[in-house]
Amino acid sequence: MNRERITRWLVSGPPFVFMVVFFVLPALIMVVASFRFPGEHGGLAPMFENGTWQFTLETYQFFFSDFIYTEIFLKSFLIAGLTTVICIAMAYPVALLITRVPKRFRDVMILLVVLPFASNFLIRVYAWMIILGPQSAFSIAINSVVTAFGFEPVTLLFSPFAVIVGMVYVHLPFMVLPLYTNLEKHDPILLDAAQDLGANAWKRFWKVTWPLSLPGVYAGSALVFIPVLGMFAVPDILGGTGDILIGNLIKEQFLGTRDWPFGSMLSIMLTLAVLAIAALAMRFSRKSLSYA
Amino acid sequence: MWFAALLVYLFLYLPLTVVVIYSFNDSRLNAEWVGFTWRWYEVLFQDEEMIQAAVNSILIAVGASFIATLLGTMAGIAIHRYKLKALPFLVITPVAMPEILLGVSLLLFFIQVLHLTLGLLSVLVAHITFCVGFVAIVVRARLAGMDESIFEAARDLGATPWQTFRLVTLPLILPAVIAGALMSFTLSIDDFVITFFTAGVGVSTLPLQIYSMIKIAVTPEVNAVSTLLMLVTLGMILLAARFDKTVLRGQE
Amino acid sequence: MKTSFTTEAQRHRGFMKKLFSVSLCLCGGFLFFLFTNTAYARDELHLYNWNNYISDDTVARFEQSCRCKLVQDYYSDNEEMLAKLAAGASGYDLIVPTGNAVESLIKSKQLRPINKQLLPNLRNIDPAYLNTAFDPGNRYSVPYAYTITLIGYNAQKMRELDLPTDTWAVIFEPKYLKKLKGRVTVLDSQRELMAAALKYLGYSANDTDEAHWRRARDLIIRAKPYWAAFNASSYIKELTIGNIWLAHGYSNDMFQAQLDAKNAGRPFTIAYATPKEGAVLALDSMVLHQTGPRPDLAHRFINFMLEGKNSAELTNLIGSGNPNRDAMHHIDLAIAANKAVFPTPEIQTRLEMLKDLDRNQRRVLSRIWTEIKVR
Repeated sequence: MNRERITRWLVSGPPFVFMVVFFVLPALIMVVASFRFPGEHGGLAPMFENGTWQFTLETYQFFFSDFIYTEIFLKSFLIAGLTTVICIAMAYPVALLITRVPKRFRDVMILLVVLPFASNFLIRVYAWMIILGPQSAFSIAINSVVTAFGFEPVTLLFSPFAVIVGMVYVHLPFMVLPLYTNLEKHDPILLDAAQDLGANAWKRFWKVTWPLSLPGVYAGSALVFIPVLGMFAVPDILGGTGDILIGNLIKEQFLGTRDWPFGSMLSIMLTLAVLAIAALAMRFSRKSLSYA
Repeated sequence: MWFAALLVYLFLYLPLTVVVIYSFNDSRLNAEWVGFTWRWYEVLFQDEEMIQAAVNSILIAVGASFIATLLGTMAGIAIHRYKLKALPFLVITPVAMPEILLGVSLLLFFIQVLHLTLGLLSVLVAHITFCVGFVAIVVRARLAGMDESIFEAARDLGATPWQTFRLVTLPLILPAVIAGALMSFTLSIDDFVITFFTAGVGVSTLPLQIYSMIKIAVTPEVNAVSTLLMLVTLGMILLAARFDKTVLRGQE
Repeated sequence: MKTSFTTEAQRHRGFMKKLFSVSLCLCGGFLFFLFTNTAYARDELHLYNWNNYISDDTVARFEQSCRCKLVQDYYSDNEEMLAKLAAGASGYDLIVPTGNAVESLIKSKQLRPINKQLLPNLRNIDPAYLNTAFDPGNRYSVPYAYTITLIGYNAQKMRELDLPTDTWAVIFEPKYLKKLKGRVTVLDSQRELMAAALKYLGYSANDTDEAHWRRARDLIIRAKPYWAAFNASSYIKELTIGNIWLAHGYSNDMFQAQLDAKNAGRPFTIAYATPKEGAVLALDSMVLHQTGPRPDLAHRFINFMLEGKNSAELTNLIGSGNPNRDAMHHIDLAIAANKAVFPTPEIQTRLEMLKDLDRNQRRVLSRIWTEIKVR
């Protein structure tokens, strides 16, 4: 029994200690940093100076003193939500198709979804930079259609549209995979039964397949929504004059304006937002997490 | 549905095809097709910074995947066997967080607490932190699908915990361990956001190098390095999939 | 069940041994690399420099003359460099920051004073670029090169549309911008864009009055719908391709765009000019970092770069402004005659170098910047 306990410590100890030191501790440091003053030339001001502890709520006041930061949070949520919805719409036919093809093709088709994922995400974003550029064949085609209908030509690159396309493209595999894992488990007998009862294809989908696939949808949504929230590179590269998300704001505090406390504080806000969403998702998809 | 799915596949592949094709384009500008050339690959192989960045990437990926696999396997076993409450939370949260948060908090930690000069080591530690979770998930999933009685049988036959592990557990979870290692390798070599925050000057990795090239001066050299990097990561994923099919689905 | 796992175990045992030895080798190799990578004992000078800010020929000649190796790291933005140094980057002998960043480095005591006795070539520098506000008496810094933040444009298009090219108005006034909708980029830099707006409004680029900042903000927000993007440096390419017709950017980038367009045989030319309201002059200076192990080599390098020929090589390569009088004999005539690179004394009086901001000003400006981005 004693040996059992030693083993237990030996096995769980190292990863536990490592994660406490390099994950929990840094998170705590970040919380502390959000209450400190920024240094005159960047970094943080000393914590203890002139005989007093230098802590302040100023940064939090600064955040809430102007609606603008909340606005950026809301906008980021909107973009993340939109990306998630588009990902669901695009991933669903693919995932469904994979479950309907003969078994031996399935792995290949899954692989085909994962393959683009094998390239660095910056490369995937960069690809759209080429495609959406005003001189690309794609842009010219779109604009010839648009002008034919009498509208002004549109610029595709450096726009919210480009940001969404980039976000969807980068995160699509995260939606297809859990969705497929879920759909694969459905019993085809259910659909047959529905058909026997006279349900048409549309009805069979909405009444049988869709409700059953919800755990997969939730899991996929969490995998898309959360990373999109913190993303800064996509708006950086594809975005236009107004495309700034939380990620960009945080990055700028560290690498642009040398305001670490504010950057830390924004990170904490983002963490809280993510935790709230994760808690919601957990509630909805207990089932999907248990076999994920 | 066939048609919709086909469109999605097209959507997935068109951009990458463009990247690959343009890596052979004989023009600095990347706007229209001019002619075929190997020039950008030649430029790439003479680009010392790029090669150094590649070396750094590989070093970090090897180191991070090795240590993360060790810790992740332990964590996976511990979570499965001892039904701990805190450990799964600790290990899996970094996987679920937006990367920027981990990057920022580690940056603060390294500088404020450890007074560590950012460099290879800080990137290594950061990569391990987010890879552990992935390995733990894969290993735990493998264990969860197994018959508990094997381990009990081994114990009943008088095997020490170490013997049980070496002779029973490890052989059984080995595919998952290897898959986890390869996955960590891929994640590490591919990571941009966390590296961006934790890399010191002088330590560039391939993704950092690509980012600065995209942001600063885009030449088809970016396309060339992208094409090569795609081939490498592709190889790793295929290799991982040979050991454990769930890798392809097991990203969650 | 039992049989299945024993066979599996047997199958895996040989493989496990192999795997173990392979991973051991990998790990050993990794550690070996980590150590050999750090434990060099050669004469090396570590330079933290802007991207593409020294000619390869110059580097080769310097390495030959000092029998040492010049190791470079790069940044593309002062803030990035400051952030990295604040993050504890060390081991740099030399850095080439812009004036306001020099000021910040001096005040945070990160620099080592220079020894002018080791720099006889310092006399080559035009006194106009010495004794600056950011480093009175040049205790810490030696001028390297400068750029002017100005406007670059597609000459044909601007002529076709009958637009002025000598004023910030073309960037900020809707009456001109109407013709350029979606064809303009401005710098993605708080200080630079605000400076341009402040200059256009008739204030100093270093004005820190919040009311003036807000006026500049309103000017920018009014013009923003016509701009394609805030952009760090890809405007070089966009101008060259012809996607963008007008860009707010650095003179050496415009030089590059002009050259690229010419080499690519584009049907138009890229030109650039300093707006008459005045602009920001960014003087980049060589400074010694406290943590640098080789101040001796650093001084040799500075003196080497102060030689006219070596300094001129940079200007010929990237079209940067040159504070070195001796360099003028070696500079290509076309560049030497370019008013946007070497401003006339009259324009020179309207150029300003940026000063560093304190923490409260930085926070206020950051909020104004966020408003600009969001609104």
